[in-house]
Order: sequence, then C-alpha cells, then structure tokens
Amino acid sequence: MADTHKQWLEELEAESKVKQEQFMNDIASKLRHPRMYDKPNHPFRGAPDFWNAFEWSEEERIQAFTDNFLSVGGHVARLGSMDEVKSFIVQKAEEMSAKYVIRQNQPELDALGLESALTGSSVSVWNTDDEQYWRARAAEADFGIVIADHAVAYTGSVTVLSAPNKGRSVSLLPTVLIIIIPIERLKTRLGEVLVTFDEAGREQLPAGIHFISGPSRSSDIENDLTIGVHGPGIVYALLVE
Amino acid sequence: MKVSLFITCLSDALYPRVGEAMVRLLAKYGVSLQFPTVQTCCGQPAFNSGYWKEARESAKTILDAFEDSDFVISPSGSCTGMIHHYPKLFEDDPIMLERANRLQSKSFEFTQFMVQVLGVTDVGASFPHKVTYHPSCHGSRILGVKAEPLALIQKVKGLELVPLPFAEDCCGFGGTFAVKMADISGAMVTEKVDHVLETEAEVLVGLDMACLLNIAGNLRYRNEPVRVMHLAELLYEGVK
Amino acid sequence: MAGAKTEATVKARADLALNDEFLRKAVRFTTERLRNGKKKATDEHGNWEDWRERGKQIRLHTIAHLDYYLNLFVNNARANGVHVHFATNTEEAVKLTLDIAEHAGAKSVVKSKSMVSEELHLNHALESIGVEAVETDLGEYIIQLAGEMPSHIVIPAIHKNRYQIADLLSKEAGYTLPPDTTALAGFVRKKLREKFLDAEIGMTGCNFAIAETGSMVLFENEGNARMVSTVPKTQITLMGMERIIPSWSDLEVMATLLPRSATGQKLTMYMSGITGPRRSADADGPDEMHIIIIDNGRSLQLGDPEFQELLNCIRCGACLNACPVYRHIGGHAYGSTYSGPIGAVLTPSLNKNIAEWDDIANASSLCGACYEACPVKIPLHDMLVYLRRRKVESGNGSKMESIGMQGFATIMGNSSRLGGVLRLGKLGQKLVVRSGVIKTKLGPLKGWNTYRVTPSLPKESFRDRWDTLDQELKQGLKQMEPSMQNRMEELVRKRELDEKQGKGGHGHG
Repeated sequence: MADTHKQWLEELEAESKVKQEQFMNDIASKLRHPRMYDKPNHPFRGAPDFWNAFEWSEEERIQAFTDNFLSVGGHVARLGSMDEVKSFIVQKAEEMSAKYVIRQNQPELDALGLESALTGSSVSVWNTDDEQYWRARAAEADFGIVIADHAVAYTGSVTVLSAPNKGRSVSLLPTVLIIIIPIERLKTRLGEVLVTFDEAGREQLPAGIHFISGPSRSSDIENDLTIGVHGPGIVYALLVE
Repeated sequence: MKVSLFITCLSDALYPRVGEAMVRLLAKYGVSLQFPTVQTCCGQPAFNSGYWKEARESAKTILDAFEDSDFVISPSGSCTGMIHHYPKLFEDDPIMLERANRLQSKSFEFTQFMVQVLGVTDVGASFPHKVTYHPSCHGSRILGVKAEPLALIQKVKGLELVPLPFAEDCCGFGGTFAVKMADISGAMVTEKVDHVLETEAEVLVGLDMACLLNIAGNLRYRNEPVRVMHLAELLYEGVK
Repeated sequence: MAGAKTEATVKARADLALNDEFLRKAVRFTTERLRNGKKKATDEHGNWEDWRERGKQIRLHTIAHLDYYLNLFVNNARANGVHVHFATNTEEAVKLTLDIAEHAGAKSVVKSKSMVSEELHLNHALESIGVEAVETDLGEYIIQLAGEMPSHIVIPAIHKNRYQIADLLSKEAGYTLPPDTTALAGFVRKKLREKFLDAEIGMTGCNFAIAETGSMVLFENEGNARMVSTVPKTQITLMGMERIIPSWSDLEVMATLLPRSATGQKLTMYMSGITGPRRSADADGPDEMHIIIIDNGRSLQLGDPEFQELLNCIRCGACLNACPVYRHIGGHAYGSTYSGPIGAVLTPSLNKNIAEWDDIANASSLCGACYEACPVKIPLHDMLVYLRRRKVESGNGSKMESIGMQGFATIMGNSSRLGGVLRLGKLGQKLVVRSGVIKTKLGPLKGWNTYRVTPSLPKESFRDRWDTLDQELKQGLKQMEPSMQNRMEELVRKRELDEKQGKGGHGHG
C-alpha cells in the first residue's frame, strides 16, 4: 500500500511537471513576453517608506498592544517576572477549575513548575511521548499555554511558530489560551515580524506561522458578534518584563 | 480667450434655466461665454450601453464645437466626465485621439471652473433656506470634484446646510439603467428621497441635472414639495 | 425567496429580492456595518490612498510577471514537500480532488471558506463518491445546511435570520435550539469539533501565496481554517493562479488592505502562513499537503488591457458593501458564485461565452462606488462598460436597443436634427402633459414613471433662447479682473507647454 501510494504521488508529480511548463508558457505567451526566468526588478516591494520609518517607544507599544487586544475581547496583564506569570496561571486555573492543561515543551515553561503548582489539574507537555495522539490531548484541554515568538503592537497580534516542541494545536484547540509575551519581542509594525521570514528564507521556515489577534469570533448570525466559535474563546496575553 | 458653454443635451432641452443661471453668473465676473450651436450630446447614453460607434457620432459634435475653445464649461460633472472617456473612445484613431486629449485638458465642470480657475468661492449670494446637497457620483468620483461645491455653498449667507445621510450613494439614475433595471433604480431613488426628506431641507441642491431630474421626479411623484435646484441656479438666485 | 436560482435573468431575480423585506433590511444593515467599519479603520490608519496605490502596484507587478512568480512559488512549494497540481478548468480540479480523496481513503472532508471551491461546486462532487463534505465557517455551514449559495463574499449567510438558522441547526441537532446566537454558535462549535477530529482531509482556500518561500497564507476570524490545516492527516488547498505575491514583506501591504477593507479590522483574529506539510518531528499539521492551482478562466484576462487588472482582486468584498445596487438586491440576484460589482465583472470574464451573457453587466448605474472602495483600485465601473461594448460588438446586443441607439446617433450626430426633434417633442407632448408633468405609464416611460414623474419640455430650449440672452449680456459685460485673466492665460500656456512635451490630456481633475 505504502509503495502504491508513493507511486501514485510520483505519477501525479510527473503529470504536474508537464502541466507546469504548459501553464507557465501559456501565461508568458498571453502576457506577450518570452518566459521569464530571472527575478524581475520589483520597485514596490513591501510597505511604503514612510511606514517603514515608523516606530513606537516601548511604553507606546505596550499601550497600543493592550488597547488593541482588549478592544477585540482579549485580556491583557502586565507582569513583572515569570514568577508572577506562574501565580497568574495558577490563580486562573483555580478560578476556572481547569482540569486539563497543555503547554509547549520549552525550557521557560519547564521552569514555571506548573506540573506541581497546579494541584487540581493534569498538565501535559506537548510531544513528549511518541505514543500519544497529541491533537486529541490539546482538544480536551481547558488551558493551552504558549510563549510568543513575536508580537505586534499596531495590530495587537501575537506570533507563534510551530516546531517539534511547539504544537500548533496548543494555541488552537483548548478553551482558554494563555500567551506569554516577553516584552522585548513586542514590535511596533507587522512588517518588522514579516521581514524576518524573508530574511530567514524558505528552508528555515516552520510549517506553521500563526498570528493571533484575540479570541476566535464570528458575526455570521445576524451580524451578532459571537466569541469562541472554533478557536479559543478566552485569550490572555501576559506581557512580561 | 475663448470660453465656451457646453450646455449638455439635458439642460438644453429640459432645463434651459440652469444654463441661463450659469451664463448670467459667469457674466458677473466678466466671463463672456460662447455657445457653439453644433454641439448635441456628449454620447454618454450610447457609450455606457456599449454602443461606441453611435457614441462617437455624437461625441464628434462636441469635439467639433469646442475645437478652438480655450475653456469648456458645463453644468454637469457627468457630461464633463464623459469627455474624460473620449481618449478611450477614440483610442484607435490617432487624429481623433489627439483632439480628445486636448478637449479633456480644457474641460471643466461649473464649480471646478469657479473655484479652480476663477478662484471664486464667495459669489456674494444670500439664500436664507435650509438646504441639503447631493454630490453626484461622476462629478465626485471621475472628476474628483468634492471640495469645490461645498466651498461655494458654505459662503452663501443665510444658507443652512444640512448633511444628507448616505450622501455619496448613487441616486439610481445611471442613464439607460433607470429604464432597463427600472425596479432597482426605483428602489435606489426612493431611498435617496427618503434620506432627503429626513433632512427636512426646503431645497435639494446638486451639480448634475440628470440626477436631479431623477430625484425631483420621485419627489413630485410622492407630492413632496422639496425644491430641487442646480447650484448655479441657487447662486444666481442668491445674487440677483 | 432570494435564494431562488430558477429565475433566468438578473432582473427577475432582483425583483424577487426587492420584494423580500427581510432580505433588504439584512443586506442594508450588514453592508452599512461593514462599510462604516472600513471607513473608521482606514481613517484611523491614515494615508489610505498611498496604501491603495502600493497594493495596486504590488498586484500589477506580480500579475505582469506571473509566469516568473507562479513558477517560483510552485518550485518552492515542491521543495517544501507540497504536492502541487494544476487544473485548467473545474473538471480537472474536481478530478484531482476526488483522486486525492480516494487515495486518502477519506470518508469526510472538512472545509474552510474558499471561493474557488464554490466555483467548482466541489461538495456535490465529493458526495457523489460517498465522501461527506462539511463547510466549517459558521456562515458557510448554515448555507450548506440550507442548500444555498453564499450571498456575500465575507458574510455568506447575510440573508438568513436567527429563526431560520435555529430551524436549520435544530434539524441537524435532532432537538430544538433556541434562536439565540450564543446557543447556536455553541452548538456548531461542538458539532464541528467532532468533524475536525474525524475528518481525513482538511480543505482550504488561499488568500495569498508567497512566491519566494512557497508559503500559503490564510486570513480568518473563527479558527476553522487553522483547524482544517492542523488536525486532519491530509490537506488540500485550492488556489486561484493569481493569488501570488512575491514576499512576506509584500504581505504587510495585503494584510493592511484586506482586513480593513473587508470588515474594518486591523487584522483578522488569525493570519496563518503555512509552509509545507508537518516536519517529520512535528506532532501536528498534515502529513500530506496538496495545492491545486486553478485557472478556470483567469488566464483569459492576461494580456487583455481592459481586464488584466481584474486579477488584482484580493476578494475583500468592499465593493459589495459600497454598491447601492447590491444593497437593494443582495448577492443571489447575481446568479453566480461571485456577487456585487466584482461578480458582475468576474462572472462574464471568467466565462467568455459572450452570447449567453446574462444582463448582469447591466445591473449597475456605473456610479463608481466600487472603484472608490476597492483597496487595489480596480476600475470595475469601466470594465462593466467594456463588457457591454463587447456584447454589442459581437452582435449579441438587444435588437430594440440597437435600433434605439442608431436613432440616437442619427439625432445626436447633427445639431439641426436635434433641434427638429425637440420641436416635434414639444408638439407631441401636448397629448400627455398634465399640470406641467408627464405621468403616463404607457410605452417607454412605464418603468421610469412607476417611481417618478417626467418633466415636460419647456417652451424654449436653451438653444432657442441663446441669441436673445447673448445680446442682453454682451451689452453690460464687465471687464474681467486682471488676476483672473492672468490665471486663465497661465493655465492655457501651461497646457500648451504640456502638449508640446507630449504629456497629453490630464491638466486637472
């Protein structure tokens, strides 16, 4: 079976490569130029110059991020240390009687010692056991805990990147999402984060890059705003010094 | 300096009073308008319906009429806007294309000419009434005439300008659209007039007699007494 | 009911919509909400014209070099481990999808919102081979249960009220749900959770594809697009061939334009960039990822100077929200996947079957609100006129209209004939004028006079009156102020200079 599936994919790829040439040749001929193989000069790449020069101070970034995140129904707390983060999470878990907590497998989160601090919850650590179906673990979780790789003040967004120790499901499937944002990762503009992916280049990119700007929402029923449709309905952004 | 009047077929046939007000108002500034009588219609009804051959027949009369004019002034943003389509209409004919480009660069809608060329915003008019203003789509969107009429209206003494809700929404005229899609057009003009009535204005002022014909037609159909005027009429009445 | 697809013409479908008071209110309310949201968001952001221009330039550049950028995207996506396929038309795209579904042994497919998938009518095809297809966007799910088409690009179930939605969902639940938004959405969340976890295939659309890294980008608010691209083992992405942008830096411009234009948001709740299937050590994300690149009439616009810009569209729906015609008739009256001004142009353009064109291009007053709203400045109002012209020039215009327009050309081609007609009109109208206006609903004035009265021709036309007026004014003419005189002379000089330098027509405006 494995072999036939692979064969089938290879056949498809062979067909696709033939079709690719036809497609591109057809496009070039319709555009009335010979096939282009060299990178064209792109004078309008990215945002306008005046925008790229725009930058806020740290306090302005914190303020703008907070305002934006609150305005879409998210929650924000500004905390002085990772110890405060720990107490915050413990308190929230007790308040909401969180039974299942899932977190990314990162040293900063290991250091929080949530496994022993959360007495009423069972805490799982993403992808630490090959036998587990981790998507289901995330789906049953009340809390998901992640660390932001980047954050953007102007749009009130947090960026999380996937990796073997950082599941996409952890920021998606639990009911409550807690995002820890080290304050030095908070940038002014979206472009400051996006440009890092251009700089990194294709081979360095993770499979999933997710910008999260608040709780899941929909206005599909009579324009009435509903929070928490498919993704987490309660989202905490913890800005940590 | 030859300044010519592009009357537009609608004002010529149905609203000569608008042309007259404009001519009399401009005369107060020493502008002596000429009226080349070979002009007919800008060709827009045919152009917009896709009959470009027929549109060219009509457009040629406009190109002929204003061949040696320095400025061409019309009481309609839509008809002046149509002149902006002439280069496209004649794109396959280099000689006509050149004439079309030349005509476009010297064509002005009435308020454009008043404000941009003459530099006048205060005509010294007084008009002590409650007025609302409908900015016609082609004037504001094709020609970009947005600030000029407001500048003129705001300087009229005694005039109380009430903002028209959803002012920038089309009145539903759209030329042959009003006939071909009569019910959609009817719904649009009905809504526009609802908004006009909400303002409780005594007068609706505009820059395009086609839109005003449409709106006035619905007002009168509903027996509503709101007076409908072209801005040139209002200004002239205010200085008379 | 506005969803009726049985009516053959835009006019007939529009009439149905115009008589549906709920629909009209709902559409008006939604479009106003979105339009005001956009206005607020763009005002707050500032320099909107600069951003529009930048967006347009990036799209123009990419489309003008599409063979390079699309090819680059394909090669990079392959290097990321994606299986890329090409489909010239709907049949090929459907065949590929079904082939993948069969090889994945799929019993069910969860889908996030994709306009391309609507073009393909894919759900029926999947069902025909026994695969359940589930729309997971809340609005799409609702209209799927109702068996209808989306009536708005961004808010697909704009035409349904909460009572109708409660009925549909209650049928699905097997018990009665209250007509309460939170309860209804809560039911859908729970119901679709199971579907996400059970489905073998997740299917997405694609807002943008980044050529330089082979990544695909999705904008959404609910999280369902993340679900379908994270949970199932196989991901299939349907992508219009024109979705390309060169780089992540260019995405900043699109991310600035798209959410603000669509819903007035600074950014959608989720923006995801997906670069290939899961890495071997990752514990989620699809094992196998397919991207099907679809032409389906798009390439017909390439090299067509009047329509190439159509490919710049980023599917934000702002033109729908700005359009006064859409506001009154809603999306279903357009009778196709894409509605509103973009639909009126896109539908006939993707299907070059001129002779069969509906009167869809006529369902516009050409007011230009769509162009003004468009974040990438597509001149849709001009394109509508070009479509009308192409229909006429191909000999498929209406016979009556054609005769009328020949008459127009005859009269308007010569001013003395126009004068004659006006004189005849003044005689003729005596039969129908009552207290200064014409109210008859007979003949050509029927449609017009159902909503309005028609003014009668005055005693004298302007041209009749001109000589008297001219003589009167010439007698007392004032001298023009020197400053005005100078300004006018200066303008004429500048114009002549521009003309010599070949700058052409646009002196102003």
